[in-house]
This record gives sequence, structure tokens and C-alpha cells, in this order.
Amino acid sequence: MAENLTEAYSNLSTSTSSEVASGVSANVSSSISSDIPSLGIDSSTVMNALLVLALAYVATRIVVFLLTWLSEKVYEHRITVKMAIPLAKFAIYGFAMYHILGSILQLSTAQLVAFSGLAGAAIGFGLKDLVAEVVGGFVIVLDKPYQVGDKVRIDDHYGEVRDIGLRATRLVSPDDSLISVSNQKVLSQTLANANAGSQEMMVVIDLFINSSSDAARAMQILREAAVSSRYVYISEKRQVTTLLKDYPFYRRVRAKAYVYDLRREFEFESDVTKRSWDAFREEGIEPPKAGVVEMGEGPGQSRS
Amino acid sequence: MTPRFEEEIGPIKKAIVDFGEGHRSNLAVISDPFYGESELMDRVESMTGEEGIRIDARSLIRDVEAFEDASGRIVIVEEVHRLYRRKIGGFEMMNHFLKVLACSDRLFITTWNTYSWKYLDEVLGLGRHFPQQIRLSKMGAGQIREMLLSGYEEGELTFVEEEPADAEELKILNRSSYKKTLMGHSLEIPYPVVKMRSIRSRLTKSEKKSPEDIFFDRLARISDGNPGVAEYLWNEVLDYPEVRNALKDPPSIDLDRDESFALDIVLSMGSIEMGELSQVLEPLDLSAGRIAGLLEEMGLVFLEGDVIAIRSEALKSVVEHLRRLRLVW
Repeated sequence: MAENLTEAYSNLSTSTSSEVASGVSANVSSSISSDIPSLGIDSSTVMNALLVLALAYVATRIVVFLLTWLSEKVYEHRITVKMAIPLAKFAIYGFAMYHILGSILQLSTAQLVAFSGLAGAAIGFGLKDLVAEVVGGFVIVLDKPYQVGDKVRIDDHYGEVRDIGLRATRLVSPDDSLISVSNQKVLSQTLANANAGSQEMMVVIDLFINSSSDAARAMQILREAAVSSRYVYISEKRQVTTLLKDYPFYRRVRAKAYVYDLRREFEFESDVTKRSWDAFREEGIEPPKAGVVEMGEGPGQSRS
Repeated sequence: MTPRFEEEIGPIKKAIVDFGEGHRSNLAVISDPFYGESELMDRVESMTGEEGIRIDARSLIRDVEAFEDASGRIVIVEEVHRLYRRKIGGFEMMNHFLKVLACSDRLFITTWNTYSWKYLDEVLGLGRHFPQQIRLSKMGAGQIREMLLSGYEEGELTFVEEEPADAEELKILNRSSYKKTLMGHSLEIPYPVVKMRSIRSRLTKSEKKSPEDIFFDRLARISDGNPGVAEYLWNEVLDYPEVRNALKDPPSIDLDRDESFALDIVLSMGSIEMGELSQVLEPLDLSAGRIAGLLEEMGLVFLEGDVIAIRSEALKSVVEHLRRLRLVW
């Protein structure tokens, strides 16, 4: 092929401008027609390869659908079942690539080396980001810093992992936005996983009360609100804790409790907050005076 | 008739003897609804004699101090789980009871609903107050058979196997479909569903078991080893001198979280007054009447006057449903 291209180049340099177009096209077409049959690439091969890729795509869609459906059926093992989704996708696409290279193209060792060289050049020039993303996807699937169904914070993005794709991880934010984060970027960013593969997740609920209010009673009410919530999950290792912190002009009552399903994080928080405040009002426990909270430390700044 | 609870009565007897010798160890008997633990308490009461006093926790709701003034060094308190409500302020009575129990020098023998016990054990640490816990275990098919046939002579009853109504009953696969609306079009994707009942039925047939064995295996599975439920189902199918294997599988349940929570409250109590259910559901902006009606329509509970109670035949599927939703542990 190199010789043909050199020949084409020398023809190009000695030809007149009117001969250039016809000379180049003749040489290139003759090079292609002479080289492609030797690689075994004809239109039917290309069609077969495309068909395999299309089948792989359809297969992944079906597998993802079935596993997602199954995960909701076996509710208590939802996250475990969902863990299989990215593995299945990588396996299907890996098998498809293996089939295309091995059975359809039937590359010999020399051709494989040549292909690798070409692939290397392509990666070096234009596809390196894409390859880095795919490799990142592999690392995520194997290393499992998070799984499908987990609640994570990647960089400034927080949400539930819906999909670990070949190229990117997709999160659904609390306001239902679909966020795509490149797999390569995930590996280089700080990552916080709120549940690490568990179905339940800790939720921190802060309520701010007036310094003169009965803090002990407020803590008791908040604890009872948390343990009696329909969203709570309690076990020996998943206990409800209440904490009190004193600030100059107000007090913060904090509950740390586990929601039974991380997708109910905000319903749980809202349920506990509403019922606690209803009880606070009945017991004469008051919120801080207007503007006082902003003067001190705001919610979420301290996680003690 | 063979007396029940032979296995459980031993540790209780020992606790009473130890108490007489100056070593106090409060005791909790934990069981599913309908298990029939009151029969066990009848025996315990007769063992305690004049030293014992028996109280239903429902009477303590009206007067939680009642047992403090009562005579008797051994206090049997039944259905102690009725002393709490799953709401803010709903644990006061239970906390008071535990405080009295901790400060008392009397021996407490108590009975609890399994699901309330597990919940309260995590929330209030009940286990620390009751060093001895007796869990009434599930019965196997053999034990259920022994219990139910103890009043009959051998061969007195005839077990009749119900034939499937038609060939449909013998099918292993059923057709179901997944429906979804996509871009305004309704899509229906059919998929097969395996009928476990048919498979089980075929398997048991292939083992050539007697109709009696098949009946009691099925009864043990549907009742989940609960003698109270088994006895109820037995009375349903007994048409003396025939026993028809007409036992139905428990109903499947499709409820949302709020409705399931209400069902959890009923299960945790076994039965509850509508007013008490309202106290729990009203702060959540849920209507107890509406949900109770829905649960009754689904055959999961029954309403008797002002009381709503779990249907014994639905107990197994209710527990499985709530466990799947992690509402009971």
C-alpha cells in the first residue's frame, strides 16, 4: 500500500493540473481495489460487521430492560441485580468486537498487527479521548467505585447512577435532569458514594430551633419522627442518631437515619421535617428569629 | 390431644424456679399473629399459682399504673406491643412500662407480636430488658398433622384431592404482558410467567404421595407453619368426614408505600381499632378509612365493628410483601 501511495504521489507531482484529478482517483481506486480484497473486506463483510454491532446494540437494550425489570421484582436485591447491567453491556460489546475481528474479518497475525498499528495511530490522533473513556468504563465496572442504582456526587453533580455506559456514566439529579459524566473524568475526580452498593442510605436531617427552646424535647421529637417514619430503615448497624449543636443565637438538632430505598431520600427528609415541626409547634419549640441562621453557620456546612 | 408448647414451657418453668431462688430474668415470648400463645400463657398462669397475676396490655392502655399496685410477684403481661403507636409521642407508654419493669423486683413474663418486637428491639433496645426470649417457631407439616388429627381416630377422615378444573390448571407457563405507552401509542409486550403451583403439583404427583400427605404439605406451606392459620384453613376445608384439598394460594399484593405502611401497622398489632390507626395515619395526611376499605377489598384484612384485623389466610403473603418493601425485618 505504501508503494502504491508513493507512486500516486510521484504521479501527482509530475502531472499537469488537469491530469491530477483523474491520476489520483485512478491510483487511489486501484490501490483500494487491490488492497481490500486481500484484507477480506468487501461490502458483505462490512454489512455483516454492521449487523453484528446492531445485534449487539439490540441485545444490550433487551438485557438492560430485563435486568431493570427483574431488579424491581426482587426489590430487596435491586442494587445487586443492577450491578450486572454494565457487566452485561461490556460483555456483549466485547463479544461483538471479538466476533467481528475474529470471524468476519478473519484477520491473520500480520493483518492484526497492521490493524493494531492503524488503530494505534487513530487513537493517537483523534480517538484517544474516546478510548480513555471506554477504558475508564472498564475500570469503573471492575473497581466498582459505584454501581447502577447508587447515589453519588461526582464533582459538582449529585444524583442516582442510572447507567454506566461505554463512554459515560449517566446520573439523574434530584430535579430529574439527566447528567452525563465522562468515564475518564470520573476516575480523575473526587467521588462520594452515599450508599456504596446498599439499598438503604443515610439521610442527615437538620432542624434549627431557638436557643431558648427545650432542646432535649426537640431531640426526642426528632428521633421519634425519624424512627416512626414510613421510609425509615433500622437495623443493628443502621441506627438512628440525634445530635445537638449550640450556636450563639440558635441550636441545630440533627438526625442521622437511613432511608429504606435511596430513591426516597427526599420524601423521607420531608416526612420527618414536617411531622417534627408539627410537634415542635404543639410543644412551643420555636424556630430561630428571622435572619439569625444566616449569621452563623448555615445548614450543610458542618457534618459533625 | 398432645399438649402444645412442650418445648417452650421448659425455659419458662426454669425462669420461674430461678426467680424463686432469687435470680430474676424477665422473659419475652415472641410469636406471629394467630399463633395461639395465649394457650401457652394459660399453662404458665396455672404454674405460677397465687404468686402470679395475668394482665392484658390493652387494659394498661387505659391505666398504665394498674399492674404496679396489683399483688403477685410474677406478672404475665399479654400483647405488650399494644403499648406503643408508631408516631411522635407514641412510645411514652412503652417507655414507662420498661422503666417500671427495670425498677421492679418482680418477674415479668410477656408476649409480643414478632414484627413489633423486631421494630421495638431496634428502636428501644427491648432485648436488654428481656434477657430470655422465646420465639415460637414455625411448625412443619408433620407437627401440623399431629395437632389437627389428634382429635380423630385413624381412618376417620377421608382426604379428597381436588382435580384441576380443566387443562388450564396444568399449564406450566402462563402468558402475561408488559404494557407501556410510547409516544402516544400503547405497546403490549407479551412474556411468559412460570406457574409454580402447576410445577409443584406435577412434582408432588410424580412422587406419588398420598392425598393426606399432599394436603398437609400444602397446608404447612400456605399457613407458613403458623398453627393458628393452619387451624383456620383446616376448619374451612373440613366437611366431616371429608377433607377436600381446596386450599387456595395466598393472594398476591399490589399496594403503594402508604397503603403498605398502613398494612404494616395492622400486622404489627395483629388487630387495631380504627381510631388508633387514624392516630398513626392522620399526621401523614392519610385516611385510615379509605385504606382500610381498600385492604378489605383486596382480602388482606377484615373489619369487625371498629376493629381492623389481618385475615389469617392472607398472613403469609402480607408478611412477604412487607418484607420485600423492607417495612418489616
